[in-house]
Amino acid sequence: MKEKALRRLLEVARSPFSALKELRGKKRIIGSTIGDVPEEIIHAAGLHPFLILGTNEPIRYAASLLPDNACSLARSNLELVIAYEGDFFDGFVLSQVCDTTQHLCDIWRRRFPDRYFENFLAPRQVSRPSAREWVATEMRRLIGSLSRYTGREIGEEDLRRSIRLYNENRSLLRRLYEVKQKAPRLLSNREFFDVVRAGFFMEREEHTELLRELLEEVEAQRPEEERIPTILAGIAVEPTGIFDLLDEAGVNVVGDNLCTGSRYIYYDVKEDGDPVEALASRHVSRPHFSPIFSRAEGIYTDLLGLYRERGAQAIIYVRIKYCESQDYDLPDIKRRMRQEGIPFLVIETEYQTTHLALLKTRVQAFCEAVLGRV
Amino acid sequence: MEEKREKISAKELSKRLTQQYLESAHTAHEHGKYVAYTTAVSPVEIFVAHDIIPIYPENHSVVCITRRTCTELSEAMEHEGYTSHLCAYARCDLGYRIVGKSPMGGIPDPDFLLACNAQCFTLTKWFEVLSRKYQVPLFVFDTPQWIRDKGARKEITRYCVQQLRELISALEELTGKKFDYDRLREVVKLSDEASRLYRKFLDMASYKPSPISIFDALIHMAITVYLRGTPQAVQFYRTLVDEVQEKADKGIGVVENERFRLYWENLPVWFKFRDHANLLASYGAVILTSLYVHAWSYEFDTSKDPLETLAENYVSVFSNVTLEERADMALDLFRRYSLNGSIMFINRSCKAVSFAVHELRDILTERTGIPALVFEADMGDPRFYSEAQIRTRIEAYLETLERLRS
Repeated sequence: MKEKALRRLLEVARSPFSALKELRGKKRIIGSTIGDVPEEIIHAAGLHPFLILGTNEPIRYAASLLPDNACSLARSNLELVIAYEGDFFDGFVLSQVCDTTQHLCDIWRRRFPDRYFENFLAPRQVSRPSAREWVATEMRRLIGSLSRYTGREIGEEDLRRSIRLYNENRSLLRRLYEVKQKAPRLLSNREFFDVVRAGFFMEREEHTELLRELLEEVEAQRPEEERIPTILAGIAVEPTGIFDLLDEAGVNVVGDNLCTGSRYIYYDVKEDGDPVEALASRHVSRPHFSPIFSRAEGIYTDLLGLYRERGAQAIIYVRIKYCESQDYDLPDIKRRMRQEGIPFLVIETEYQTTHLALLKTRVQAFCEAVLGRV
Repeated sequence: MEEKREKISAKELSKRLTQQYLESAHTAHEHGKYVAYTTAVSPVEIFVAHDIIPIYPENHSVVCITRRTCTELSEAMEHEGYTSHLCAYARCDLGYRIVGKSPMGGIPDPDFLLACNAQCFTLTKWFEVLSRKYQVPLFVFDTPQWIRDKGARKEITRYCVQQLRELISALEELTGKKFDYDRLREVVKLSDEASRLYRKFLDMASYKPSPISIFDALIHMAITVYLRGTPQAVQFYRTLVDEVQEKADKGIGVVENERFRLYWENLPVWFKFRDHANLLASYGAVILTSLYVHAWSYEFDTSKDPLETLAENYVSVFSNVTLEERADMALDLFRRYSLNGSIMFINRSCKAVSFAVHELRDILTERTGIPALVFEADMGDPRFYSEAQIRTRIEAYLETLERLRS
């Protein structure tokens, strides 16, 4: 009974470039990278925002452009556009959140001198009022830049329309997340996160429509099942085969702080008042993201909060190889989890990894230990 | 102060000033003063104007590295779960916090932390760790990339000025003392004087033969890093400039028969720099400069609001500009110092400075026609330094330069 809507969503999530071939002639496509480029603004400009999430194809060029201790997501993203799918994009808006992404912007821009290119200088602190003002200023700069690119002014009404569309989309995703948390058999971890992922690539209108259909089907049924309620922490989970491992091991993700999960679907943008101010307010109130400074304790307080609020029994942390930001956080997070007596597993992952057998054993052993404990 | 009229050398003066500075840092808490950790590139003038003693954990780490304790300290922090590919400064510092070992008697614990990310993002994360450890506030001075867009630069400056006001409020809260803007004006003026003299000193590398090498710059930059904004720093650089000018007037160069005047990209390999200098000297080669040592040659506009000129100077440091602008900055040094060779170091420790090196090399060799040597290693940890290989490559590079010359 896994129906048409879900099939289409999974197809897009798993091979976006072939599944979305027809988009290419329809709209100009603007690629962006994690984290937090305001898609609503790109959409309001009549362009198609597309989140670039690396490739599992072999690395041929990027290795000579970046040092070998560069984060594997950055390397993989660069490889994707240089070697494989560069022609898919009309332009790029890249976000700067750390040293790697900052310098990646320059390298990337120089590879595509004939394309539209803009930096999104996201605030790297959200602990003070200046951050919200800055992000609003930076969003206005992006609006100006995109307007010059398209030759069409982006009006307040355009922005409001896009905000409404994205709000509806996010609220449907949150509803789906709740269904999945309560009834994991209806929608596996892999399926749910792939549904979110499909939204990074496809047209928002279609994604929203498919979500509605999917919700109608799954909300009608509520089978109960015993699984380990788990918080999934990190930035992105790649390769997505990791979700299959979690499904097989009996994990039910009931909360997360991923850029490709909750940070994306939580919270809505206020629909009244100045739309840019409203986007800025959402920007600074999202869940914790390792490179963006809020409070030094933020690295574990949000996890502890989620763990308790969602009644979880374990936390699994996905560490991207050579992500400096996560590397500084992890020892303190681990120590704190030990103090709290929370079962905590770190999975190290790298783009281009296809071999998941070792991880499978570790996840299974961890889950067995958790089950034996509770 | 036992400053006598007698003429003392810059080296001696540097030693005395450093001792006084460290003493004031170690006794700060006894004297009711606050200690703030900060990044080497940061608007420290605000601390100086508020009588807060700035401490630079990076400098302490450099001392650990040159005394060869980096690996030991790093292993201590790796034992606690950190990885060996983090910045060597951070590894030394976090290791020092675990084993308590320091070649200079340690540094006092912080009351406040300031991380300016124009220098790098790493410092923010490293200081986050310290903020949790000591339960003291961390202020992240966020400096968006200084992109080449006039309108954006105006807004970036505004954001930075606003943050400096937030910083001042945070310091007023910490100390319970009102901030004195007149005092800040004086401090910025002193900082400007010292920075200009420091730049004058660096620029003496344009003499032929050059009376200084980057080795001198690396030693003598210490004072402007930790004492800028004080009259002592001005006095020091005046002495230094006079001393080097005398050498230049007499035509004394660092190496005999100076033939190759080299640019160095990145921070130095701190534990190898003397060896590099000796090896190069045997070929009549000398490394004269780098963008790194120029990171402290600020030019403050004292006719402006001090917060504005501070913001503009710190946000536009070489590690926070675009690749093209950084190449222009380097090319300016090539031109002014008549450089004819270039060694470009990809530093495992420093993503902020190393990430663009491959691209930078392409731009520089294209625009100057001068080949460059690129090698990968770590600035602090001998475990990531391959002695024989790097030595061979430096030798081969110098032989290439010889060939090109003949």
